[in-house]
Amino acid sequence: MRIVIAEDSVVLRDGLGRLLADAGHEIVAAVPDGDGLLAAIATEPADIAVVDVRMPPTHTDEGLRAAVHIRREHPEVAVLVFSQYVEERYAAELLAGSTKKVGYLLKDRVADVRDFIDAVERVAAGGTALDPEVISQIFSRSRRREALNALTPRERDVLAAMAEGSSNAAIAAKLVVSEGAVEKHVSNIFAKLGLSPSESEHRRVLAVLTYLGVTS
Amino acid sequence: MDAVTKDGGAAAAGGPRPADQTPADLAPADLAPADLATAESEGRRSGTGLPPIVAVIVDPATYRAALSLVLLLPLGLVGFVWVVATLAIGVLLSITLVGIPIVAASLMGARQIAAVGRQLARWGFQAKIATPPPLAYGGGPIGWLAAVLLDALSWRSVLYLVVLLPMSIVSAVVTIVLIMASVLSPILIAAPWIVRAFSAANRWLAERLLAPVTLSERVRRLQDRRRQVVESAADERRRIERDLHDGAQARLVALALDLGMAKEKLAGGSDPERAATLVASAHDEVKRALSELRDLTRGIHPAVLTDRGLDAALSAVAARCTVPVVVSVDVPQRPSPATEQITYYCVSELLVNVSRHSRASAAAVTVHRVGDLLLLDVRDDGVGGADPVRGTGLRGLAERVESAGGRLVLESPAGGPTVISMELPCAL
Repeated sequence: MRIVIAEDSVVLRDGLGRLLADAGHEIVAAVPDGDGLLAAIATEPADIAVVDVRMPPTHTDEGLRAAVHIRREHPEVAVLVFSQYVEERYAAELLAGSTKKVGYLLKDRVADVRDFIDAVERVAAGGTALDPEVISQIFSRSRRREALNALTPRERDVLAAMAEGSSNAAIAAKLVVSEGAVEKHVSNIFAKLGLSPSESEHRRVLAVLTYLGVTS
Repeated sequence: MDAVTKDGGAAAAGGPRPADQTPADLAPADLAPADLATAESEGRRSGTGLPPIVAVIVDPATYRAALSLVLLLPLGLVGFVWVVATLAIGVLLSITLVGIPIVAASLMGARQIAAVGRQLARWGFQAKIATPPPLAYGGGPIGWLAAVLLDALSWRSVLYLVVLLPMSIVSAVVTIVLIMASVLSPILIAAPWIVRAFSAANRWLAERLLAPVTLSERVRRLQDRRRQVVESAADERRRIERDLHDGAQARLVALALDLGMAKEKLAGGSDPERAATLVASAHDEVKRALSELRDLTRGIHPAVLTDRGLDAALSAVAARCTVPVVVSVDVPQRPSPATEQITYYCVSELLVNVSRHSRASAAAVTVHRVGDLLLLDVRDDGVGGADPVRGTGLRGLAERVESAGGRLVLESPAGGPTVISMELPCAL
């Protein structure tokens, strides 16, 4: 995979480069700001951009704006935004329109190297990776509280994992249950929330997020 | 024409309010009657263009002033008798401590009687005086006594009532004589002007003594606020230092220790299994340190607050609360960054309280903007009994809000529910 990294901290930029190169990927560019990222994407064909939210010059949301720009102008490039904090509002802006080829994770997640690389690969392959923290914020701000309250705790766990972008197999492994059990939970959830059942993973994510009010 | 326009202008509805009125004092009902009357009389003046000598005779304001000057006399008598009698008894008995509540009651009475004088001055003399807020006091009869005895407005009310007696006797006698004289000889041109002069004198007196806040009080209050700001900044620094010291710093020490031991084991090649366990434990430790640091720095100032505002910033705060929180923010026009910052800080702290102490099953945060005020409401259905006297957290919050010119009101009866309301000026 060809990867562009945009991160203003030298230590972290180098570290990420090492980590992804170690996993057998090619780092085509590593830049410290949003303008550099857009320039790199315009010149170097890349599969995925890994983007920090806070970068110079204003240190607020330039990475996010660059990511939204890439998703609009270069839909063939997947985008994984990662940040010291995650914000439901940023997630909504990032996911507006499509939940394909997009991820939004806390920086801390790089500590679990295997999971992080899985997320990068999943997003590059067209999937979704949303941080559990984002999902819990989305849950807490959802206007469909009553319907969410109708779910059992287990079903809520499954719904959260679905929104994060996990497949049934991944959910089963995470919650230590059988895949059959997960399928049953999923169909219960879709029934309780009045969603049309969907096989494809990113369509599931879209359905769940639309339901929760993140994307329109 | 000069005198008339000036008089009209003084009570004009659209005119600038005195700077020391807080928005809460500006309830439209307070000033409405005078405003209406002025609009009426001004309309007539501009329509007829009467010469001032005639205008002052037909102006209803002249007759309101005359009536008020007569009504001042009973008020002056009642006020004087009340003050002299109760205050004398109170002061005499204060050797035995019984006197202190009597002095306080005397002051409260004076404040009430003076409030009638304030209404009269507004209606009759077109005085511009804001309604003072009800006396705020902190907990228990002692708190009430202290608040009453230290309330400058009450003492000024006493002074007003003492001065009012001679003033009202002269005002009322002169007015009554003028009215009678006018009836006997219809063309007493000076009469309305004399009434106006007495009205102006009484207005001056009422405005000086019965306004909620004087300049020197404002200065003292601002000095208090400045001190609170400095103190709360220092408290904040101490809290951050302590959180770093107890949290992330301690975790990093443990991490260094685990890694150091793992390094020893690996170098010796003696116990790779033990080394792997130590590395795993170091890994967990560093993840916890990261998460603690994140909570800490997020509490200081989240970037999303700067670039997306309160609504966006409160999502993460609500998600972190152990109780489900419904957040609704209706702030079409963003307030100043300082106002947003304080509001954000208050919501975070209040929701931490909800998580820790309330035993609630649900909480709600509402933020909305009314004119130039930002109103915040945090409520939960928990056990209640929150007391700012016992916990320093709530008092610190209240001080912080007050230092920014706002106020924080706590309602938390034992058994719940707890409602904390706050208002802050949008422009800080």
